[in-house]
Amino acid sequence: MDPKLTEVVQSFERFKAALVRNDLETSNNLLSQLKVMLTGFRSLPPLLEETPNSVQELTIARDIYERAVVLSVKAEDQDAFERDFFQLKPYYVDTAGRLPPSAQEYPILGLNLLRLLVQNRIAEFHTELEILSPGAMENLCIKHAVELEQSFMEGAYNRVLSARKTVPHETYVYFMDLLAKTVRDEIAGCSEKAYDYLSLADAKQMLMLSSDKELSAYVTEERPDWEIKNGVVYFQKAKESAPCKEIPSMPLINQTLSYARELERII
Amino acid sequence: MATMVSSASGLLAMLNESHPALKLHALINLNTCVDYFWHEISTSVPIIESLSEDEEFDQRQLAALVASKVFYHLGELNDALSYALSAGPLFDVSEDSDYVHAILAKAIDEYAIFKTKAAESNQEAEKVDPRLEAIVERMLWKCILDQKFQQAIGIAIECRRLDKLEEAITRSDNIPVTLDYCINLAHSFVTLKEYRSEVLRVIVKVFQSLPDPDYLRICQRLMSLDESAGVAMILEKLLQSEQDDALMAFQIAFDLVDNERQAFLLSVKGRFPDPVLRPTENSQLVSNDEPGSVQSGSSLAANDQVAASEDIQMSDGANAPRGIVVEADEERYNERVAKLKGILSGETVIKLTLQFLYSNNRSDLLILKTIKQSVEMRNSVCHSATIYANAIMHAGTTVDTFLRENLDWLSRATNWAKFSATAGLGVIHKGHLQQGRSLMAPYLPQSGTAGGGSPYSEGGALYALGLIHANHGEGIKQFLRDSLRSTNVEVIQHGACLGLGLAALGTADEEIYDDIKNVLYTDSAVAGEAAGIGMGLLMVGTASEKASEMLAYAHETQHEKIIRGLALGIALTVYGREEEADTLIEQMTRDQDPILRYGGMYALAMAYRGTANNKAIRQLLHFAVSDVSDDVRRTAVLALGFVLSSEPEQTPRIVSLLSESYNPHVRYGAAMAVGISCAGTGLSEAISLLEPLTSDVVDFVRQGALIAMAMVMIQTSETCDSRVGSFRRQLEKIILDKHEDTMSKMGAILASGILDAGGRNVTIRLLSKNRHDKVTAVVGLAVFSQFWYWYPLIYFISLAFSPTAFIGLNYDINVPKFELLSNAKPSLFEYPKPTTPPAATSAVKLPTAVLSTSAKAKARAKKDADQKANAEKLTEDSISASQKGKSPPEKDGDSMMQVDGSSSSVEKKVTPEPEPTFEILTNPARVVPAQEKYIKFLEDSRYSPVSLAPSGFVLLKDLQPEDAEVLSLHLTDTPYSIMAPASTTAAQQGPPPAAAMAVDEEPQPPQPFEYTP
Repeated sequence: MDPKLTEVVQSFERFKAALVRNDLETSNNLLSQLKVMLTGFRSLPPLLEETPNSVQELTIARDIYERAVVLSVKAEDQDAFERDFFQLKPYYVDTAGRLPPSAQEYPILGLNLLRLLVQNRIAEFHTELEILSPGAMENLCIKHAVELEQSFMEGAYNRVLSARKTVPHETYVYFMDLLAKTVRDEIAGCSEKAYDYLSLADAKQMLMLSSDKELSAYVTEERPDWEIKNGVVYFQKAKESAPCKEIPSMPLINQTLSYARELERII
Repeated sequence: MATMVSSASGLLAMLNESHPALKLHALINLNTCVDYFWHEISTSVPIIESLSEDEEFDQRQLAALVASKVFYHLGELNDALSYALSAGPLFDVSEDSDYVHAILAKAIDEYAIFKTKAAESNQEAEKVDPRLEAIVERMLWKCILDQKFQQAIGIAIECRRLDKLEEAITRSDNIPVTLDYCINLAHSFVTLKEYRSEVLRVIVKVFQSLPDPDYLRICQRLMSLDESAGVAMILEKLLQSEQDDALMAFQIAFDLVDNERQAFLLSVKGRFPDPVLRPTENSQLVSNDEPGSVQSGSSLAANDQVAASEDIQMSDGANAPRGIVVEADEERYNERVAKLKGILSGETVIKLTLQFLYSNNRSDLLILKTIKQSVEMRNSVCHSATIYANAIMHAGTTVDTFLRENLDWLSRATNWAKFSATAGLGVIHKGHLQQGRSLMAPYLPQSGTAGGGSPYSEGGALYALGLIHANHGEGIKQFLRDSLRSTNVEVIQHGACLGLGLAALGTADEEIYDDIKNVLYTDSAVAGEAAGIGMGLLMVGTASEKASEMLAYAHETQHEKIIRGLALGIALTVYGREEEADTLIEQMTRDQDPILRYGGMYALAMAYRGTANNKAIRQLLHFAVSDVSDDVRRTAVLALGFVLSSEPEQTPRIVSLLSESYNPHVRYGAAMAVGISCAGTGLSEAISLLEPLTSDVVDFVRQGALIAMAMVMIQTSETCDSRVGSFRRQLEKIILDKHEDTMSKMGAILASGILDAGGRNVTIRLLSKNRHDKVTAVVGLAVFSQFWYWYPLIYFISLAFSPTAFIGLNYDINVPKFELLSNAKPSLFEYPKPTTPPAATSAVKLPTAVLSTSAKAKARAKKDADQKANAEKLTEDSISASQKGKSPPEKDGDSMMQVDGSSSSVEKKVTPEPEPTFEILTNPARVVPAQEKYIKFLEDSRYSPVSLAPSGFVLLKDLQPEDAEVLSLHLTDTPYSIMAPASTTAAQQGPPPAAAMAVDEEPQPPQPFEYTP
């Protein structure tokens, strides 16, 4: 076996061990080294050259990135998740014919969908969904994310929150927590548009917060343009600040006049 | 690559990794696949950009290169370029990819724009990005190394890197060809005049550094730069060496004269020393160059001497050091200088041209006769149109047979018509410098005997003198000035102003200017108009302060005529100044007064003549469609013709839309624009565009189209383009049609005049052989186009006529017998066949039976004459257009007797043979422009030409100087032959010509004359 590959395999074992121990710092360091080592292999994306060890190399690289994604979830680092996921993706898409499918593929894809939902990137969510094969939709992990999205879109926020209990994989919990916050933001955004003001009690219920304290903390942190006065939450400020679009009348008039002039000039 | 990845997102994600090795890996891979995934990468460009700006990242250049490629794919060339520059050496100039090509082009563009701006603002403050400069220089180097010199030259010129230009030229493998390319480039692509001069200076420098310099070209360039000292130096050097070099000097002089820059020529001439032995030299000069003037009186010679001595004074300083010449060579040198001066003064050229036009005159009097008979007597417009047509047909030939034959008919011209009739003589005798004054003497204002003739004929005569001496008026200026000062009749003033303007064209003579200005300030409409034009003619191309003075007066005066004259005059002053004239043009085109805006159009036309400058074209098109005044719109379209005169092929395309305008003025303008820019080309597209316009619904559009068509078709034979024949028939039909509008009838009459102009040996040419603009011709056409308002200005078209001749000259400036080959069917370029006399049917229509019988008698006489003439034509000394390819039958050119003897035998041979594919032309030969490309010099000839020009004046080197030369046209050695046209006319004039034209009296019966068809 190629000495480089052996080295990678050894580091990978250490990395896996660290990951199991939940030793995030060590695993991060090891991962970083692993990634640099991986750049030395010409069989990996984007070059994808045929080398004698290409299958082993590809498999181990895929494993590394799958672990990297899991690690990022554990570290609750969304950016790292995104980075690692995108680096992992070519292994699913472009090497499908050369490697046996990975057991982790669907959970990770589902995780990514969830992440997009959490970050409220619905367009990308659907793009990802379109790429998936029809069979994949049957997978529990994917199905879960799709159902969540549907509830989210319908506005059945209670169903979204209750779905936390039915997660198909333990890594999903982190995102489900985040999702609750996304839902709250969504509700807050809607209320802002829908009402001029709300009583504290109503607002609490609406935003699914348990106490006045939590509400005021939320307002100060997330919505500094709201105002709590006399037991009522005013959204007015946000509305006023919304800039109204001005009609560019002068340019329009000028353009129309120039058209008229051009018409007169017909030779 | 085994398989392709489907997305670059993985790599992009890697860019966000913290480890620099990963970033580097990502960048390297992105760089290779950027062409496929730029759309994905484009969203991450900010990351790459920040990497390229990150001081700590050691692969910034790579990041910049990737960013540059992405921007290139996004179409953001500016950003792409700036990142490519940051990429430094990683950006490979020699890479053969779209990206590199695009960026390089952009870089060069940017650099060129930058350099141009820097040059325009004259500030060195802004420094060019050294990286940009480095890339451009790398590119230039590469071009030079790859032998792509044309590219290198193009880039260098555009980037204003004259140092590189010089390098590229000197390193090229074929320097003369490269220089040619360079010159073309300078003239067609460098729009800024100032910069063009710089480029030309570099070219001249390279030329001069060549071991075997091409003096012809150097002098052409020096002329464009207006460096008379340089030209004079070269000429002097040539004159002092071998005979062959002297021939070259003469050739240069002829070529310079061809460009018609009078001021420049005078200045070159002035730089030559006056011969040391002054009295003998002068007599030699006179006998060499002006044999005719000996008889015509000493006044002219005296005038010349005065002019010469003036010149010498001017150049005294320059000549002082060159005094010492070896005694033996002195005489030879002096003789050469005298010859050279004769050429430079234009006299030799004019004389030879006159001689050529006279001896080769083939005008068809029958056409005129038909016109004359079909035109109603009382219709003065058509009557004078016929007179104009006659003048144009015989322009420069000195043949006034038609006038002489029809004195009675002529006498119907009264008032202004008489003015034009008299002025017409000037056109006929154009260039007859020696005899001009005496020819016109009967009509000129007589000092002392007040009220001798009518003011109209006197004014016309002064105008005629101007036409005779156009652009060569040294001898006549004083007389015209005196006449102007001594009269206060506005008609005479009118004629004198025009005459003075013509004679002193472009000389910017202050005294004359003041004289004309005085006339202008009398505020008389008729005189003022001519004064305005005259001032313009005087100041052509000077862009002097006078223009604002004229503009001020144009605002002051009430008379539209004066404003119009001044407007045109102002336009003429900015002739050829290009962007220097922009302020004035702006001022005029924004004026309230439509007449001044109209002048502004002419100013645009004059300033940008023959440049095809895009800005000027755009401006003109804008005015053509947006101005409120019809006059301005018409003129704007017409002016396009001048601007595009260097690229006639473009004009029909540009004005084709305008020619379908609803506005007849615009249509008229379109027709004239095509006529002006395509004049003499016989361009098929031009004819197709004009054809529908000749049957337009509006009469003046028809008129314009007919005239324009004639200008385009001039000297195109029916064999070349069958539409010429149908156009001739159309003209005849219009002229004969009683119900035709006067306007179009006049157009048709003028058109037939132009079609057969100058005895069919001239064409309208706005560019000289060397593609310089001909000042006189352009100015002539500009003023000619004013005939819309003032018919007598029609005569200005004669300034645009240039003879289509090949005239070979030996060392003595004589015309030796010399043959050249025209490698085309003779019928393609022969003269149009003489018209047959009108058939009986048309004769019946005529009012009196007398005319029809005379016509028949004429026909009979003509038939006889025709047969004879046909035979004569074949062997006539001058030209052998119809000579059917056999070896030239005649052994000597100047004996008519022998010709008659041999004619019958030639005739027999001619008829049955199929047309040969070539013909032999004999010097001096008629070579029409379309024929030039078929002209070849015979190799085994006794003479070899100094320059390979297919037309114009060519010096011939005698390879057998010991043999006696046979001259086909005697010029300097036989005063009789030069006197021929003059003496015959003088003989025919017999009785005092004053009486002949003094119309109020009974006209004298015409003198007997010899009819030559």
